[in-house]
Amino acid sequence: MRELLTMWRDTRMVMLVAVVAAVYAALLIPFKLFTILPGLTSIRPANVLPVFFGIAFGPAAAWGSAIGNLIGDVFGGTFGPGSVGGFVGNFFFGLVGYKLWGNLGPLSSGEEPDFRDQRLRQLIEYVAVAVAAAAACAAIIAWVVDALELVPFSVLGPIILTNNAVSAIVLGPPLFYLAYPRVKEMGLLYPDVLRNEDLPDRANSAGAWAILVVPLVWIGIAVFVLGGAPGSTAQIGLGAVGFLVTAAAAYVAGENFSAVVRDA
Amino acid sequence: MSSTSLYVDADSFLHRLDPRAKLALLVAMAVPAYTFGRPAFIAIPFVAALVGLWIGQGLRNLRRVWFIIVALFVVGLVVWPGFVERGGPVVVDVGPLYLTERQTLFALGRSLRITSFILGGLVYVSTTSNEEIVRGMRGLGLPYAFCFAVGTALRLFPTFLDAAGTVRQAQEARGLEISSRNPIERARSFIPLLIPVFMTAFRNIETQSMALEARGFDTRSERTFYRDSDFAFRDWLAVGFTVAVSVASIALSTMGVGTF
Repeated sequence: MRELLTMWRDTRMVMLVAVVAAVYAALLIPFKLFTILPGLTSIRPANVLPVFFGIAFGPAAAWGSAIGNLIGDVFGGTFGPGSVGGFVGNFFFGLVGYKLWGNLGPLSSGEEPDFRDQRLRQLIEYVAVAVAAAAACAAIIAWVVDALELVPFSVLGPIILTNNAVSAIVLGPPLFYLAYPRVKEMGLLYPDVLRNEDLPDRANSAGAWAILVVPLVWIGIAVFVLGGAPGSTAQIGLGAVGFLVTAAAAYVAGENFSAVVRDA
Repeated sequence: MSSTSLYVDADSFLHRLDPRAKLALLVAMAVPAYTFGRPAFIAIPFVAALVGLWIGQGLRNLRRVWFIIVALFVVGLVVWPGFVERGGPVVVDVGPLYLTERQTLFALGRSLRITSFILGGLVYVSTTSNEEIVRGMRGLGLPYAFCFAVGTALRLFPTFLDAAGTVRQAQEARGLEISSRNPIERARSFIPLLIPVFMTAFRNIETQSMALEARGFDTRSERTFYRDSDFAFRDWLAVGFTVAVSVASIALSTMGVGTF
């Protein structure tokens, strides 16, 4: 996880954070597919971007997605205490991609996400990554919003999960097919930008699997076991445990995408 | 200032406050809205936020976000009764709709809470320019590189927003159909919109980074600033007010005042 801090020493990574944030916010606001819960959440094509950026730009995407969502709140008129949840949730939305790609053991294709070779295996790996990123984001936002007693977790959690996952799964493969080779050609993939000593020195599949499983279990327990108890100690406690375990898993997982790029 | 911004260029009392003091006032509005549950008590920060908007000349921004505020209010009224135990006299009993006084007041309180938060945030963004937001973050001790990234993103955002609009018009002029009834088709039609915008955005990163470094940009060294942020007496008053309101709200709600 140290790359999340050391990346700030690199000017290109800082610029990537700024551009990711600006692009995410700029595409988040005007393009909307369907409104699910008016004022709270809608299916937006831009929700594919944190997953794409996460795999391509690594830690810069985590910070950029968080800042981009905050800018969306500021310009969209929904800035408030709930924005804290949006910031942290979208941070994980961008973080999960590079932690998981190439790091899921038998589920990993071992290929770069360009959807040219082994398309089915890449698709399976991509869907797992997209669902994990969407679930982590949904669980964190719903946890904070529930703790503020604004909207119950059991209402918001599944909605955000669906909202984020649908856009990411439907739009991700064509987006990677068209854009990934160009981003690589520009030399902007994070393994090409970050110095070797700033990259995590390990890859741990168990940690990556925990990132995939823990947020889904967290949402499952919060919705189906705790259900209608918004703002309850149990709901807040479950969230605290879920968040800490997810963060610890992200630390343990390291990353393996740089090895995939190197071997390609 | 771009038309996308909600900032109102004026010279009100709120505009003159340090951005950190305005964040403190946002906390002063949020704490009572969070600690109390009864609508009569949450109405106080709600009205305070409206007064703040009036003082900061930001009432015009309500026209841009009224739909969100009304939608959040209505969604709260619809959702929350399902999560509260029934109690007190029956208020509504029409077919499957059965609401008691307790359910109604609880839902009204929650709806007022979420709209108070939104209105409070609107006061902040109406009276604080992008530059001040970044200056406030820097004043709070956030690292310079982070503040720089936020400032740059805030400056680039309107440019990309305009680019997104232009690309949309250009692709529609070429026959792109983005209002298909099939949701999958509709989603996929956004690909020709997404790619041009972000490829344009990322094309210049290398050049921009070199330009920054050529001007001595270095996130590791200590920076000096032309304009230092002064925390004036009025700003300390705002912080003191926040502490007083927060302590009083927590104390009263702990004693059961204004809660269910």
